[in-house]
Amino acid sequence: MRNKILWLVAALSSATASPALAHYPYCTCALEDGKVACKGGFSDGTGAEGVTLDVISYDEQILVPGKFGADSVVRFDKPSGEFYVLFDAGPGHVVEVDWRDIDGLTP
Amino acid sequence: MTGVKVKTNPHAGLPGGRHRWRFHLSVLLLVIPIVLSPKFFREEALFFGDSGLGQRELGEKAIGPWHVHVAEYMANAPTDQGLAGHMKTFAIRWNAEDADHIKASYFRIGKPRSLRAAGVVLSGGPYRQMADVPIPERVKPTDALWLTVEGWDGTVHQAAIPLDEASPATIAWLKQRGETR
Repeated sequence: MRNKILWLVAALSSATASPALAHYPYCTCALEDGKVACKGGFSDGTGAEGVTLDVISYDEQILVPGKFGADSVVRFDKPSGEFYVLFDAGPGHVVEVDWRDIDGLTP
Repeated sequence: MTGVKVKTNPHAGLPGGRHRWRFHLSVLLLVIPIVLSPKFFREEALFFGDSGLGQRELGEKAIGPWHVHVAEYMANAPTDQGLAGHMKTFAIRWNAEDADHIKASYFRIGKPRSLRAAGVVLSGGPYRQMADVPIPERVKPTDALWLTVEGWDGTVHQAAIPLDEASPATIAWLKQRGETR
């Protein structure tokens, strides 16, 4: 009887479950061993290999042009002045990380 | 001839008879869809666009030479999307005479720094485009929802909708979050 109920619950759960379709880009940065390390990816678990990551000053100069490798991490020296990190997976698929939101750099 | 002893059913007269638990399960399986059906049909109407662009329509907005209808898709607090942060869905509909002139539209909370960082691109047909807009970590209730539009003629236009007009539920959520932090 108990098995029947478990099977029924399992069947109902699988019939009513809907797959998660969204795959939002994300990028989180933190200071590690004196360098800024940014990890990127997509919320469905996909890595960010090949995705552009640029470090841009507030006056729109690209300070560090970069691309994610197989480990989906980009490391760079902290630039002087104010800047933001732009994870750019294509037009409209971007994530910005302001320097004030980088763990370890918070003033 | 002596009478045959008939075994009496202890469940006789009760709903479901000897299969009482099955009876209650059957009733439950009937009651659940009946209770949930109004919500289901309301959401179906929203998903198919029968009930309009969204739960809260903000009306028509002018953006450069073009006009667009904007709506908050669901009038509730932003949803947690894990590592990607909290998201809020907005929808737009282009006026028929403007639809052919629009190349791409982007939503962002806070003024975009550049066209490259204009925000999330809206996807869908010109009469129903949607985007899940991330809520920035440092957003303030006084910020605005910015719509950036690229035309096929190469021009770029922007419009700002105050966040308290775009989504009062997000403002309430921000205030609540501010109090709990």
